[in-house]
Amino acid sequence: MDRQAEFVLRTVEERDIRFIRLWFTDVLGALKSVAIAPAELEGAFSEGIGFDGSAIEGFARVYESDMLAKPDASTFSILPWREEGPGVARMFCDIQMPDGSPSFADPRHVLKRALTKAADMGFTFYTHPEVEFYLFKGEPEPGQEPVPVDRYGYFDNAPNGVAHDFRRQAITMLEAMGISVEFSHHEGGPGQQEIDLRYADALSTADNLMTFRLAIKEVALDQGIFASFMPKPFMQFPGSGMHTHLSLFEGDTNAFYEPGAQHQLSKIARAFLAGLLVHAPEITAVTNQWVNSYKRIAGGAEAPAWVCWGRHNRSALLRVPMYKPGKANSARIEYRAMDSAANPYLAFAVLLAAGLKGIEEGYELPPEAEDDVWALTPGERNALGMKPLPESLNQAIMAMENSELVAEALGEHVFEFFLRNKRAEWEEYRQQVTQWELNRYLPSL
Amino acid sequence: MSVSRSESLRAVLVRTGIQDSTAAIELVAEIEKLSEGAIESAAIAESLVGVADPDLALQQLVRILEAANGQHKNRLVGSLSADTITLGRLLQILGLSLGLGEFLIRHPECDSILDTEALAAPPVEIRERIMQSVGADPLSALPIASGNSDAVLNALRVAYRRELLAIASRDLSGGFAMEVIAGWLSDLADAVLQAGLAVARSGVTDPTCPLAIIAMGKTGGRELNYVSDVDVIFVTDATESLEIATALARGVIHACGAVTAEGAIWEVDTALRPEGKQGALVRTVESHAGYYERWASTWEFQALLKARFVAGDPLVGEEYMMRIQPFVWAAADRKDFVPDVQAMRRRVEDNVDSTLAARELKLGPGGLRDIEFSVQLLQLVHGRSDVLLRSSNTIDALRALATWGYVGRDEAMKLENSYRFLRTLEHHLQLRQLRRTHTLPEDPHELTTLARSIGIRSDPMETLLKQWKDHAREVRRIHEKLFYRPLLNAVAGLDATDARLTTTAARDRLRALGFTDSEGALRHIESLSSGVSRRAIIQRTLLPVMLSWFAEAPYPDTGLLAFRQVSDQVGASHWYLRLLRDESLAAERLAHILASSRYLTDLIRRAPESIAMLAHDEDLQPVDLSVEIRSIAQRHEEPDKAVNALRAMRRRELFRIGSAAALGLASIEQIGMALTHLTDAVLEGALNAVTPTEPIVRISIIAMGRYGGCELGFGSDADVMFIYEPLAGADTAEAGKQAFKIVNDMRALLSAPADEPALEIDADLRPEGKQGPLVRSLESTTAYYAKWSSPWEAQALLRARHAAGDSQLGAAFTTMINPLRYPEGGLDPKSLIEMRRLKARMEAERLPRGADPTRHTKLGRGGLSDVEWVAQLLQLQFGHGQPSLQTTATIAALRAEEALGLIDPEDTEILVKAWTLASEIRNSIMLVKSSMSDLLPADYTELSAVTYLMGYRSDKAGVLEEDYLRATRRARKVMERIFYGNE
Repeated sequence: MDRQAEFVLRTVEERDIRFIRLWFTDVLGALKSVAIAPAELEGAFSEGIGFDGSAIEGFARVYESDMLAKPDASTFSILPWREEGPGVARMFCDIQMPDGSPSFADPRHVLKRALTKAADMGFTFYTHPEVEFYLFKGEPEPGQEPVPVDRYGYFDNAPNGVAHDFRRQAITMLEAMGISVEFSHHEGGPGQQEIDLRYADALSTADNLMTFRLAIKEVALDQGIFASFMPKPFMQFPGSGMHTHLSLFEGDTNAFYEPGAQHQLSKIARAFLAGLLVHAPEITAVTNQWVNSYKRIAGGAEAPAWVCWGRHNRSALLRVPMYKPGKANSARIEYRAMDSAANPYLAFAVLLAAGLKGIEEGYELPPEAEDDVWALTPGERNALGMKPLPESLNQAIMAMENSELVAEALGEHVFEFFLRNKRAEWEEYRQQVTQWELNRYLPSL
Repeated sequence: MSVSRSESLRAVLVRTGIQDSTAAIELVAEIEKLSEGAIESAAIAESLVGVADPDLALQQLVRILEAANGQHKNRLVGSLSADTITLGRLLQILGLSLGLGEFLIRHPECDSILDTEALAAPPVEIRERIMQSVGADPLSALPIASGNSDAVLNALRVAYRRELLAIASRDLSGGFAMEVIAGWLSDLADAVLQAGLAVARSGVTDPTCPLAIIAMGKTGGRELNYVSDVDVIFVTDATESLEIATALARGVIHACGAVTAEGAIWEVDTALRPEGKQGALVRTVESHAGYYERWASTWEFQALLKARFVAGDPLVGEEYMMRIQPFVWAAADRKDFVPDVQAMRRRVEDNVDSTLAARELKLGPGGLRDIEFSVQLLQLVHGRSDVLLRSSNTIDALRALATWGYVGRDEAMKLENSYRFLRTLEHHLQLRQLRRTHTLPEDPHELTTLARSIGIRSDPMETLLKQWKDHAREVRRIHEKLFYRPLLNAVAGLDATDARLTTTAARDRLRALGFTDSEGALRHIESLSSGVSRRAIIQRTLLPVMLSWFAEAPYPDTGLLAFRQVSDQVGASHWYLRLLRDESLAAERLAHILASSRYLTDLIRRAPESIAMLAHDEDLQPVDLSVEIRSIAQRHEEPDKAVNALRAMRRRELFRIGSAAALGLASIEQIGMALTHLTDAVLEGALNAVTPTEPIVRISIIAMGRYGGCELGFGSDADVMFIYEPLAGADTAEAGKQAFKIVNDMRALLSAPADEPALEIDADLRPEGKQGPLVRSLESTTAYYAKWSSPWEAQALLRARHAAGDSQLGAAFTTMINPLRYPEGGLDPKSLIEMRRLKARMEAERLPRGADPTRHTKLGRGGLSDVEWVAQLLQLQFGHGQPSLQTTATIAALRAEEALGLIDPEDTEILVKAWTLASEIRNSIMLVKSSMSDLLPADYTELSAVTYLMGYRSDKAGVLEEDYLRATRRARKVMERIFYGNE
């Protein structure tokens, strides 16, 4: 047993932890958890905990035999939201086959594989997400319009507001779990919040996001309110995106930064950016994986519906934040399509794959978009060569189906499962008769 | 050799090995002249004895004397003329090393280091002299150099080479063992790193910043060679120190590796640090520990075996060593340890450029790397529980393993000798040019010099190459010797003086080598090797290497068990023992088959004598069976005996073809062809056997489906149709009855339960399928097709081929169906639609319930059927009047369609690849499981075994799966485009 595992065992003893939750993520990004007692910990470290893969979305039918969840001792953390009573802790797991080799169905492995490819090219991949979400009064009821907790807007400081308390408690909790928060504020919609996580390597960020979503929901429950990462809960208010800043490092140096180059953007950064632009439509099904995700993109304003890049342009899909003198290491690219309900492991993997493809193939970066894209006429956009992002889950699926890049990045198994699942979701949605249709057609037709 | 006055100078010189005596005499005269007579010709000749390349030695000495002047020259001449020992030392070096010769020509004053009594003893004060060369105080706890200018770096380089010269001189004088020399070279490297750090300190703001240098690799193990990169890891105490510590580290790298007027010392290689070249140059102890806890892979722990603190802050260094050691010794507990280690071995072997492999001292088969790797692996396995094995030095570790009974003493000693031989050769090779190399030269003169430098005098070049090959052969068998032989002693307990593993250690080792049931394995080993019979003696020699082969295959335990069973069955027979003893190729193949294929193991159990085929590739080629079939017919009057003989023949041939497939000796097309010919021959023989002597019918057996296409696999049934025609004048009804009886008898005999495997015949593709008569006359068949034929039947007929029986009748049949299967004008639109619908319905209905379409190799997405329907659709459409399209084979049809421009080359490749891969997987499934399954195995172990049999070097079954899913996904896209017309 290694020292880290010993540390975990010791802590469990000292802190009177009665349950350890082993966490992993299914292909759609839902957190799965199996709880074990401290007595089972040692076995879990050496052999893993067996479970029936067929019960987990996307793990089914890979293999008949059981799969193993092998906890990663370095991710051990005590869950801070169980204050009274005996403690509960958690660790993330790698999913393994019976012989100990990694499972191709495990999203964490998909990301690790993508990171290995980057490492082979000499890069480490860092991400920094800005997570948006809504807070509502009480649990959602079917058929009822959800009620946000407040009526404030962007950056509003709401004294004694529910949201204010909420953010304070949430951040305290996240910091207690070792997840650093960079920034937090009230977002544009009523009850809408934004919390930015500090940049870290992509795998840690993805693990952190999984923890983050659960922690936010737990804190909300604690305060008698409800949190949701649904991409677009209100037609009239902005959706919840997850703008994500991306950067590549070569050793200690930021590979995107080159002093003296145009916008201080290195050749690598330009090719990476170009790769994201070329492949944006085909990766969208992964970064925006729900029917509802496309309602957010259609919403105008800051939602990026067209494939282009800019520096000051908040309507562009990709934004290059202004360089701050002396901050060479913070050179980065912001991808603005992704929403808070994506599977972060898969989404980071395809973003990385698209960018690396640009570097490998030496794609040329098209000119920057300087205008507000939403204000342009379709003819103008056409003249500027701006292609739209997929307008619906269906279009996104079709773009992904023909993508060798995504198949390569996700691996054939996840690729196939994901498409099958999403087609089924679209089929189901297509059959719905919505309130809008009833309101509009029933009286007149 | 003594020099007598009566001999001429020329004769004396020639006897020392001088090649060009005329030039040598001139050079000797020149030396006398330059030294104003102080160095006499007789003394020179005497001192040349034993010099590797005496011609070169003289040339270089002249150049040194020419270069020296003034005070230096006086001292140099003085010391060289004082006694022949100093002169001899110098000539020895000059006669091997061009590199050190060049150095002395530039710095003649440096020879002073040879001019001392001390050379007879180990070197002292290396560190003091090296530190002083950069102006640092060797006694200080924090030595700081006088600066970091080029002048300082030059001084360090000169001081380093001067020490190197002294070590080389001790080396060539022959008084010290290789490992002692390697130890001094490491001391020198330590000193240079310390001096480099002193230089680096002079260039930073805070020279007290704690930085520890940990040597890795050969430096870490105190077994450095003359010219090598020096592997290090840099460590500091805390995050706050990182900035300055990194500057210090860069300073060290620069001080040692920068090229100045005096060249470089060596590269400081930092690639072994966490995250390799992507990682931070310097890390804190904590960060190192964190990395090894979380990320590191097996080879990194193996590398850590060699870690040794050599320079800088001792507290940080000690702390690092203390934190790191536990990781090393826990590495063997890691779940992926065994596969990792195997993969590492393969990678090393794969990486050697094959043109160099033949001359590689280090990486080639039987090279230094093999020894080091094996010793380290044993240390990791047993060092976990036995601290006495924890040495970072290869020779020390090998000796400890022998002393404490983990490997045999004799074997360890032989191996040590080989290691020492190879290392000495490497040392002298590097001294020649002072260049980093591990490749033996091809030039005869270079080889001769090298041979003479290690003391080979007669026939130097040939002797050297022979000795080297002998050693390499020894080393190649290292696995067997070090790993497996002691296991036998653990159970057999033959020789109490030799390695005696405890049972626990033996089990540890078996588990580390991949045997899951280590108890069972020990029992089998014991059963096979105990006793004093000839069989047991041969087994004791063979078993260690058999075990190593089993361990490389997917089912080591099963393989060992099957080997024991076969040996119990035929173990005492003469041919078996001889085969195993003499034909190591056959034994290796047997091990490979037993530990991977149940199908072939079953065939071996039925008839162990088939094993003999494995000895020669020729015996695994398909054979012409016609003579044998005739002789079977002659020998056996009764049909059942004849057919049984045919079935035995078939079993033997299945083993032949199956072995060729399992050993990667045949392509999928060759296997299909061989199985098809075999089936043709067996049917021909069986048909003859059951036909009455005076028949009233002629019969043709028409092969259909994959059999018709000559694409049989190990799990395929033979699809056929039976056609007959009454002989002239025979009663039609009687003829029909006879035909039915013949065919029925034949089928019954071929599939009757018996020892030999059955040949299943499937006639369901005949007209009207199962409802139709089993045999039909040609006339009735013609009438049927004229009336009823559907596009589906025309498609099935594309595969029809006369396989056995009356060939004239067969030809008449195929002529009759040609207009059906190659219709003039191609398919009409209605038939095309019908064919597409049929395929669509089959996709929905024919798949077994719950089967995953992406994993079904026959009917699944992009599987065999998808590809075949594309080929066949185009054959139906364009086959008329196109002889190249009139083939029954899928790949041939696709290639012909490509040639005619009906499919573009890229699409053809995609289809061929998917079809080939699916066929190979199907064959491998049958070989592994001995029962057919259409699905890519869901059982992970089975999938690994299929992967292994398909010759994937990687042990990751997931790779095959990904390859298959990708190939078939692409094939399906092409299929949808061509077959369904989807754009």
